[in-house]
Formats: sequence, structure tokens, C-alpha cells
Amino acid sequence: MAVRRLLDGLYLGSGYLSALFLVAIALTIVAQIVGRFFGVAVDSTESAGFCLAASTFLGLAYTFRHDGHIRVTLLVRLASGPLGKLTELWAVGFCAAGMAYMAYWAGDQVYFSFTFGEKSKGLLAIPLWIPQSAMALGTGILTIALVDEFISILLGRTPSYVENSTALFQGEND
Amino acid sequence: MDAGVISIILFVLMLGLLASGIWVAPALLAVGFVAIQFFSTVPAGITLAGTVWDASWNWALTALPLFVWMGEILFRTRLSSDMFNGLSPWLARLPGGLLHVNIVGCGVMAAVAGSSAVTCATVGRMSIPELKKRGYDERLSIGTLAGSGTLGLLIPPSIMLIVYGVIAQQSISRMFIAGVIPGIMIIGIFMAYVAIRALLNPELAPPEPERLSFWQKVKASRLLFPVVLLIFCVIGSIYGGFATPTEAATIGVLGALALAWWSKSLTWASFMESLMGAVRTSCMIAFILAGAAFLSIAMGFTGVPRVLAGYVDAWNLSPAMLLVLLTLLYIFLGCFLDGVSMMVLTAAVVLPMVENAGIDLIWFGIFTVIVVEMAQITPPVGFNLFVLQGMTGRDILQVTKASVPFFFLMLLGILIIGIFPELVTWPVEYMVRKS
Repeated sequence: MAVRRLLDGLYLGSGYLSALFLVAIALTIVAQIVGRFFGVAVDSTESAGFCLAASTFLGLAYTFRHDGHIRVTLLVRLASGPLGKLTELWAVGFCAAGMAYMAYWAGDQVYFSFTFGEKSKGLLAIPLWIPQSAMALGTGILTIALVDEFISILLGRTPSYVENSTALFQGEND
Repeated sequence: MDAGVISIILFVLMLGLLASGIWVAPALLAVGFVAIQFFSTVPAGITLAGTVWDASWNWALTALPLFVWMGEILFRTRLSSDMFNGLSPWLARLPGGLLHVNIVGCGVMAAVAGSSAVTCATVGRMSIPELKKRGYDERLSIGTLAGSGTLGLLIPPSIMLIVYGVIAQQSISRMFIAGVIPGIMIIGIFMAYVAIRALLNPELAPPEPERLSFWQKVKASRLLFPVVLLIFCVIGSIYGGFATPTEAATIGVLGALALAWWSKSLTWASFMESLMGAVRTSCMIAFILAGAAFLSIAMGFTGVPRVLAGYVDAWNLSPAMLLVLLTLLYIFLGCFLDGVSMMVLTAAVVLPMVENAGIDLIWFGIFTVIVVEMAQITPPVGFNLFVLQGMTGRDILQVTKASVPFFFLMLLGILIIGIFPELVTWPVEYMVRKS
């Protein structure tokens, strides 16, 4: 199952990248505080914001696989058997289509910023396509995770977000 | 098309998507897409990418993952297991005895964990067996947990207040400061209620035989004090104007790591666990907020919020009546939605109405958070009730009965801040004037 391993590695890897960017938010803020202490103006508003965006988007697929995203399960958990399978297929399939659309336009945005050479407005003035590509990449990986999930459910496997659920109490999610 | 018809179509669509199990953030995005694609002349795809991008690197939001991470680190120290032993010597002599441990313990844990279900579960896991062993009234012990567990949404550094601040475009610092007095007030109301019940009926809370010297008490709570001190430093640095919320959160993370190291609970595994836990929570919330930002922009293009706000004018609703209606709406929504989703879903429509009615948006934030808290213990489907049901093995009816008084005490809290809005607004004005 080389494909399975590759995909799982993709989700976990982007999850670790997301964690790295979360730590990076803290680091840029530390730089700002230390800089102020020594009278050097370090403006972390922009860099922290870009790290936040990268952390959010790159973490999407990992969070999805670990049941981190929330949804209303009041009715869903009433459906069992073939109906339950159909419900999960609908939810995952709908989201896959939506995320594919979003990933496409996020990619379009990166392309636009790249060709027009747009720069961020702050002191950093970095080309906007760099931080924006995290959004295209993250939504793209989430789309892959959703399609992957759709096929898995179709093949009769338990959805990953049910299996890896870290919910406090069993029964909350089933 | 008439704005009323559009709003009904979008409302039904939202309801359908959520009920059929679509995750909250994609549902928000999808409804926003329909609004923009079919009821406005704006290109949907470009607007979607642009709005979500702009919302996702918002400076105010950078405090969120850091506060979540700080909580995750502290949560993995021995703090939660030390909570009961650390607090009980100090509170045992009050009328109501160790029942106050539930309330104060939840208050402290809430500031750390930021989620009411987690707060409820962590404190309850330690205190329910202890209180039962010592012969405390089980109903009061479940009730105090249910009620106080929800404090997590209000006590700064509260995730909920950050979320509200971001969607209502209010300063996070001011939201935090505004939340302090109402938070303490609700703890006070709960404690007073327990004390009065215990004075009227001493059987509910047996007297504590054990008496410790001052130093023994200090020793028992040696992990509790640094945590409380850390929270004070975080809030204090914001209040004093030394730090922005994001800076204060960074200090909080460093302090939490130091505490975890000092209490010997910092390992590579626990560090990674806390970090990945923070990724999951903050990613979920930030994604929902990005979806909400798009929905709100999309709704703006359709003109629906403006028209609905106009209805409020036309019906001659007084601000008080509007608040009563909104309270009912939130309690209803709380039956099947969690707090963040409730706030985010209603923001696009509710905030313009509230602003139009001349209600202060900071005050309204505190009001909303308390109402959302109440919704967590609304019978029969409040979220905390399920948690307690799982822990005590009692059926949902008994848990509900135990929680009802606390539901009304929170209602009392809302009434008080409604009659005396200065409780919320004065500390904020003071902070602004001072700086």
C-alpha cells in the first residue's frame, strides 16, 4: 500500500508544517518583544499574520483526519447502515467539491499575485504569492484528503475522522 | 429578488447543509457562495479567494493559536490532578465547603483550558468521587460543575472573546478587560448560591474535620499559585498597556513551558502533544472564522443584513426586547450548535441589527458569551450535560435537574449586566482613559 503510506505521510507532514508555523508565530513575537527591549523596531504584525495563515491552511487536512473540524451530528448519528454510509458520502463528497473550487481560486490568486508582482504593504514587502501559496497548497491537500476519504467510505472502511477521533467521551461522535 | 425571500432561501440552505452533516466551515463557505453567485453581480471565485485570504492573516487572530497552545501545555502538567488538593484547604471553611472547589477550580481551569466541556470533565473527574466519598449532596455537586464549567467561555484569556472580537471588529484587549468583572461576578453568584443553600440545609455539605496550618495549605497548592500568577501576568500586561494580546499570549506560552519544565512534566512527547492539539483547535476555529468572513461579505452584497436591520426599526423593537429575542434565539441554537459556530453563524445578520439599535458592541460581546454559556447547559441537549452524564453515570434527566438552578443564576447575571452596563463598560473606559 505505497499510495496509502504516501497520502498519510502527506497529511501528517503538512500537519507538522502547520505546527512549525504555529511555533514561528511565537518566535516572531519574541523577536518583536526583544527588539523593543533593545530599542530596535521589529514589526511582527505581518510576519505573524502570514505564519498564522500558513499554520491554518496547512493544518486543514491533518485536523480533518483527526476529527478536529466540527459539525452537527444530531441527525447524522441517527442514520446507520446503508443510510449512514450515504450520509457520510454526501457530506464528504459535497466538501470535496467545494474545496476543489476553493483550491482552484486560491491557485488563481497565487498566479495573479505572481504575474502582477504584488507585494505586501508592510515593511517586509515580500511578494504576496509566497504566503498566499500556503492557502492554495493547504486547501489542495484538504481536497485530496476528502477525495481519499470518499473512496475509502465507498470501499466500506470506517472514516478516518471517526477512527482517529480525539473526542473527550466515546459516544459523542457516533 | 426581495431581500426577505433571499434571506429565507439562504437560511433554509444553511439549515439543510448543517443538518445533513456538512462541516461548519465548508457550510458557511457554501452559503456565502450561493449568496454571491445567485443574488449579486460580484464574481464569486475571486471574491472567495480574496476574502478568505484577507481574513486568514488578521493580526488580531494571531493571539488565538498561542492562547490555545498555552492552555494545552498547562493542561498536560499535573495542574489538573493537583487542583482539588490545592484548592480544598482554602475553601473548606466556607459554608458549602468543598462544593466551592468545583466553582473556583472551574474558574481557574477555564482560564487554562478555554473549553467548557474540557473544564467540566477535568475538574469533575477529580472532585465528583471525592465529594461523594465525603457525603456531599450529589445534585449540588453536579450542578456546580455544569454551571461553572461554562465559565471557560468568559474568563480571559478566553478563546470565545477572541472569536467575538475578530468577527465584530472590536479590540481583543478591550474584550478581555470587559470580561473580567462579569466573570468574577458569576463566580460570586454561584458561590453565594451554594453558601445560602448550605446554610439553609447543613446536610447538603458536611463540615470538614481537617484543619491545616497556613504553610501546609501553601504547600498543597504549590502548583496552583504559579498558574494563577501566570494568568494574572497575562491579563495584567494587557490591562496595563504593556503588551498586545498576541504578545501577552507569547509570554503565556513561555511561562507555561517554564512551569511544565519546573513541575517535571515537560517531555518531548508532551510538548508535541500540546503543539499538535493546539494545531487542531486553532485550525478548526480559524477555518470557521475565514468561512464566516466570506459569508458576511457575501451577505453584505445581497443587502439582506441592511433590510433585516430595517425590520427591527419598523417593528419598533426596543433594545431590551431585541436582547430578549436574541437570548431566546441563542438558547434555541445552543441545542445543536457549539458556541463558536453559534456566534459566527449569526454575526452577519445580528451585529448590524444590534449596532442599529444603538447597543454597545463590547457590551453585546459579553452578553452573547454569557448567553452562549447558558446554552451549553440548556436542557435537554446542552453540551456540558452530556459530559456530566458520561462522568456520573446518572441519566440526562437528573443531570438536567441539577443544572437548572445554575441556568437561572446565569440568567440573573445577564439581568445584572443589563441593568448595570457599567460593570462591563467602565473598566474598558478606564483603561482607555488611562493610556
